[in-house]
Amino acid sequence: MATAELALDPDLYRQTQPEQVVDGDHDYRTITDTVCSIVEKPRPPRAWYIAFAVSSSLTLMLFGLIAYLFTTGVGVWGNNAPVFWAWPIVNFVFWVGIGHAGTLISAILFLFRQNWRTSINRFAEAMTIFAVACAGIFPAIHVGRVWLVYWLAPYPSQHLAMWPNFRSPLLWDVFAVSTYATVSALFWYMGMIPDLATLRDRATSKVRQFVYGVAALGWTGSARQWSRYEKAYVLLAALATPLVLSVHTIVSFDFAVSQIPGWHTTIFPPYFVAGAVFSGFAMVVTLMVPARAYFGLKDLVTPRHLENMCKIILATGTMVGFAYAIEFFIAWYGGNGYEQFAFINRALGPYAWAYWTMVTCNVVSPQLFWFKKFRTTPWLMVVVCVFVNIGMWFERFVITVSSLSRDFLPSSWGYFTPTPVDILMFIGSFGLFFTLFLLFCRYLPMVAMSELKAVMPNPDKSLGEKKRLQTYPEEADKPKEADYVGGGQQA
Amino acid sequence: MKTTTGKTYWRSLDELQQTAEFRDFLHREFPVAASEFPEGLTRRRWMQLMGASLALGGLTGCRWEEEKIVPFAMRPENRIPGEAEYFATSIEIAGMPRHLLATCYDGRPVKIEGNPDHPSSRGASDALSQSTILDLYDPDRSDALRQTRGRQSFRRSWQEFEEFAEQHFGAMEASGGDGLRVLVEPTSSLTVQALLRQLVERFSKAVIHTHSAIPRDNQLAGAKLACGSSFRTRYNLAKANVIATFDEDLLGLHPDALEHSRGFATGREPRVGMSRIYSAESQFSITGAAADHRLPIRSGDIGLLLAHVDALVRQELSERDKSIQLPILSADAMKFAEAMVIDLLANRGQAVIAVGPSQPPTVHALAFELNALLSNVDKTVYLLEDPTIIAKAESLAELVEVTNRGQVDTLLILGGNPAYDAPGNLKLAAAIAKVKTSIHLGRREDETSVLCTWHLPETHSFEAWGDVRSWDGTNCVSQPLIAPLLNGRSAIEVLAHLANDQRDAQQIVRDAVSRSLSGNLSSEAWAKLLHDGFHIGSELPVEKVGPTLMTDRQRWIQAIVDAPRSSPELVYVPSESVLDGRFANNGWLQETPGFLTKLTWDNAAILSPKTAEQLRVQHGSVVKLQAGSSSVELPAFLLPGQAEGSIGVALGYGRKAAGKVGGDQQSGVDSVGVDVNPLRTSDNLHFTSDFEITATGKKYEFATTQDHHAIDTVGLEETERRVGDLVREGTFKEYQQHPDFAEHRTHHPPLESLWEEPKYEGYAWGMSIDLNKCIGCNACMVACQSENNVPIVGKDQVAKGREMHWIRVDRYFQGDVENPSVATQPVACHHCENAPCEQVCPVAATVHSDEGLNDMVYNRCIGTRYCANNCPYKVRRFNFLDYNENLEEANRELVQLVVNPEVTVRSRGVMEKCTYCVQRIQGVKIDAKNDRRPIADGEVKTACQQACPTQAIEFGDLNDNQSLVALSHADSRSYGMLSELNVKPRTKYLARVRNPSPLLEPAAATLDTHHGSDHGHS
Repeated sequence: MATAELALDPDLYRQTQPEQVVDGDHDYRTITDTVCSIVEKPRPPRAWYIAFAVSSSLTLMLFGLIAYLFTTGVGVWGNNAPVFWAWPIVNFVFWVGIGHAGTLISAILFLFRQNWRTSINRFAEAMTIFAVACAGIFPAIHVGRVWLVYWLAPYPSQHLAMWPNFRSPLLWDVFAVSTYATVSALFWYMGMIPDLATLRDRATSKVRQFVYGVAALGWTGSARQWSRYEKAYVLLAALATPLVLSVHTIVSFDFAVSQIPGWHTTIFPPYFVAGAVFSGFAMVVTLMVPARAYFGLKDLVTPRHLENMCKIILATGTMVGFAYAIEFFIAWYGGNGYEQFAFINRALGPYAWAYWTMVTCNVVSPQLFWFKKFRTTPWLMVVVCVFVNIGMWFERFVITVSSLSRDFLPSSWGYFTPTPVDILMFIGSFGLFFTLFLLFCRYLPMVAMSELKAVMPNPDKSLGEKKRLQTYPEEADKPKEADYVGGGQQA
Repeated sequence: MKTTTGKTYWRSLDELQQTAEFRDFLHREFPVAASEFPEGLTRRRWMQLMGASLALGGLTGCRWEEEKIVPFAMRPENRIPGEAEYFATSIEIAGMPRHLLATCYDGRPVKIEGNPDHPSSRGASDALSQSTILDLYDPDRSDALRQTRGRQSFRRSWQEFEEFAEQHFGAMEASGGDGLRVLVEPTSSLTVQALLRQLVERFSKAVIHTHSAIPRDNQLAGAKLACGSSFRTRYNLAKANVIATFDEDLLGLHPDALEHSRGFATGREPRVGMSRIYSAESQFSITGAAADHRLPIRSGDIGLLLAHVDALVRQELSERDKSIQLPILSADAMKFAEAMVIDLLANRGQAVIAVGPSQPPTVHALAFELNALLSNVDKTVYLLEDPTIIAKAESLAELVEVTNRGQVDTLLILGGNPAYDAPGNLKLAAAIAKVKTSIHLGRREDETSVLCTWHLPETHSFEAWGDVRSWDGTNCVSQPLIAPLLNGRSAIEVLAHLANDQRDAQQIVRDAVSRSLSGNLSSEAWAKLLHDGFHIGSELPVEKVGPTLMTDRQRWIQAIVDAPRSSPELVYVPSESVLDGRFANNGWLQETPGFLTKLTWDNAAILSPKTAEQLRVQHGSVVKLQAGSSSVELPAFLLPGQAEGSIGVALGYGRKAAGKVGGDQQSGVDSVGVDVNPLRTSDNLHFTSDFEITATGKKYEFATTQDHHAIDTVGLEETERRVGDLVREGTFKEYQQHPDFAEHRTHHPPLESLWEEPKYEGYAWGMSIDLNKCIGCNACMVACQSENNVPIVGKDQVAKGREMHWIRVDRYFQGDVENPSVATQPVACHHCENAPCEQVCPVAATVHSDEGLNDMVYNRCIGTRYCANNCPYKVRRFNFLDYNENLEEANRELVQLVVNPEVTVRSRGVMEKCTYCVQRIQGVKIDAKNDRRPIADGEVKTACQQACPTQAIEFGDLNDNQSLVALSHADSRSYGMLSELNVKPRTKYLARVRNPSPLLEPAAATLDTHHGSDHGHS
């Protein structure tokens, strides 16, 4: 009886479905239309133009400043002795951290069969890649003799006859970040192939046909292709998963392996990873909320998605707060005077303002997500997430700069003041990030259509939920098959 | 063919033979291809040719710059290209004799050391003499004579000047040189003095005037009061058990500071015995920082303090005479005086009482009398004739007076820069303008030369012959190390010309020196004199007279009591960096931080925190100082230990025509610092109470190399907590009980290694620095800068914290803010065996050598700066910008000559640091290898070690357990800074030992020897 009642009531049916990831009355066709139309529309919304004009100018400024840096030297920044590393490294760690959400959502949540990820994974992955691109710029331009930066790579060189120093965490960094960038880009691109094929098939102009055609790598959607595609996707997901942990672990080694009080702590790897996920999710929310509004994706990216992300932010934010507390505890418990001072100095010294900004933003502000109102009101979420990102930037600033500014010998203590170049380059990196992001929104499928379809109950709106269930009542508690375009994993 | 008469000149054999080709050539006007050009050339061909010529023409622009290599047809004697040669010479810096040894490569001097054979140098030098080499290659030195007529200025040659001089001075001869005045700096040069006498012989009415901005006249006047003659004083600090200084910087700016420093170090070897130093002074001097007891007291009260000391001594000796009632001083001052007197009396004949040049003659006289009373004279204090005195010389004030009366027609200024450094009340500039013919011989077109009708470029001391007398009177010769680079002539040459002396400079010097050595100097003796740089045994005899006029004592004391002593007072002090302004264009010195203030590129009104509070000014607030009608504005610098109510201002800054470094109004280069000379008056050269100070409300940012920003309480407390570990100190008493007190200052778990430590066979280089000897004089910093081509970065970069010095002198204050004790500690790369920098460099640009050096491979460095982050001593320096850019500029070619060819000049983006002077190690290794012998101890000397006036630094092979450095490392006072980090530093420090008087000693620190067995020491 119960099945019959269920079958008659589509709302009830939906509630019992474990994987309801899409709102509204959508079927495969409407999903395809919704996502593709953003790309296919002759003109993007006016806001896109404004945003693109701003961000591309900032990008231009960034490249101009980089040219200035190359011709003049790293002295254009505020770096000094003892603060030999400052904003560029802070920015690097900040952007690498942001780049964590993508792979986490794509790979880990995929392996854990969290189907709600499908609406946001493409978006998050794109963000990851752009963030890693921004991150990659900073350490490369940070070296004093940038024209020799390739010496970091272990290549067999005849005239030098030497390898880089494999004991240096900076070298590990080169491997970690480049591997991460490669795997993320591959993962992102591979996941996009079926959707690119859809765009190709729907293309009306020769140019689009050609470009999307080349990008789709001859995807036909045959069963054999799907079978291989899915295997490869799982493999890549499995490959990417340890990277989520490894990248930031190794980035944290840059600090933890050195002996500067405030850097030399064993808690850094987990603390950095939690912080990265924290900031990455905050960035996804910050971008997702306006994007779903402007591009009409509210049905595909539902409040439930946002709420889930808020929960993760709350969890990781609390972990980060715990890490801060543990650092202080260990500094006291460890009995190392230099380390004790490093932490007292953080909280009460000349950088106290930065430290308390960090604590307020990272520890206090995510606690608001205990309240359902904050988890469900998009603009409130954005406000909190922007605070989280500010806080996470400050976290890296506090770790990098405040530790360096006062280490062992008081005679060599210093204070770091950024120059306009420091500030403008950081702003410029946002310009680059948003430029890439806006291009992505305009030219690539923002939501993984094929994956989304695979977790949708209703393949064809014309049949109607009721009708379909009436025709096939036994389907009510069986997941539907993935048919002609369905991809990805079954729930 | 026509026959021609006379000689026929032919251009070629073709012409001679009148060949067809030659006739054709004559006919065609242009050579072959050229005359074909216009006719019958196709458009295509023309394009081809033009294209090709353009391309080829363009190619010529791609060629390397043409360089002319001129081989020696005859190799100069003993010169091997690339091999260093050493020449002894002596110079005089504002009356301070310095005895030097110049290292020359291919005929150009690149490095200055102290003359190791000279008794008052023994290889040591100071920051000023080290940096004279940069002055030699200063591109802002003038390279031309200039004559000004009305508003027009003309470049002249020496020949034109000679013609002018012949006519001008020839005309004067008739009147006996009426209206001729010569202004010179006080000098001990026999040659200059002889030539001046010759000049006066030619022009009997000519008058000589002397002027120095930082004179020591008061001491001579004091000697005259006490002994009846203007004797010079010489001290033997090595023999003194008690040294009492009154505003006298024996170890710093005293002309004989190098000898004093060595004597000081000899007297403070804790294994043998420790002298005790009392220092009463208004400004923190190097001597004050080295003292066991320092009393900050206004310069105006110092005389009174000495009077109290005198009274107490007499009281103890029960020589009561009708005493003058002395005004009472503060309780601290009285306690200080009492403790000092007890020590002075207990060490009769083994003490020194020294009074500084700023004190009035009566105070000096009293000190002479006290030294005699305590029988120190002839034992530790010697009196000798002063060789700088020029008979019948008049002062600058007198010159201005006669000039203003219009009695001066011709003014000859030989060296110096009186227009800048004369006291403001003399209005010298206006006076010079009144002189019809004024001739200034100077190294640069400075403030004085722009006022004069003639400017003559002067040679640098390294370009000319001359002679100098040591502080003890020993005859020393200056020899030219290089031909004049910029068309200059020395004062000797100019004077000789004007005195109609036809001898060449070398002969004049030789004759003058021979005469002083009472006899003819044989060629061998002259060669030996040049080789050694001095004539042994030629020092002036010690006067046995002693103070004879003690009966005037009451009068002196009365004068001291009557002198105005109001607070606040303004004290003019010579700058440690630029002295009286003569080094203003010297980037090395400008960037050398003040030894206590750590201030670079600036002077300031130095005052104590308490005085600042009373005057309501903060660190960095700009204050206005007004004396009479002159006023200057300069920033206030709060310095602990400055005497309350005493405001110190350094002379030598605010130059308006020094050059591109020190300030040049004409080229729009701002002055460095502020000129305070306008405030000075000729009767108050040293300190005055007759001034007003007001805050202006403006703020100013200093460029300091330590405490770049004001330190907060958290930082201050931590600094205080750490200093005891970093700079270890103990009292002499403590040392006698526990010679190893230093290693008990810090305790930590035992240091163990996770792997087998590499062994160092062969040489293992190491260094030790004795903090008990270090006086913080900065000689090592400049020596290192000169040896290792360390760039000058400029004020802005210093303010950002990007100074490049490979060795720095850390300074910490301890105790009471108004009277702190100071700890100084030179820090360079420690060459850790377990170097943290090496592990983190991703490209292996910093690696360990098998002799234990932490080598920096500039070629491999890409500048990640990770090594510098990980260095606990923060000794790594990074080229944030291209700091050597100026070496590449075409008009700065002269500066390139100062570069040491043995050391790489680093590009931007590269990390650098102390190498333990690896180039010197390699040089000695090559020599030793050629001789097939091991390197002897002491053969390798690092630049800092060589310069150090107290020989605080030892360097050598740690594997040789008899080497001085190995013995130092094994000394009970030795400790490794931050060695608890298990970095195994190769540089160790020897703890400082203070020798406080039991009367003034603060509660004795108890030695904590309670610790478990399982721990390490370092």
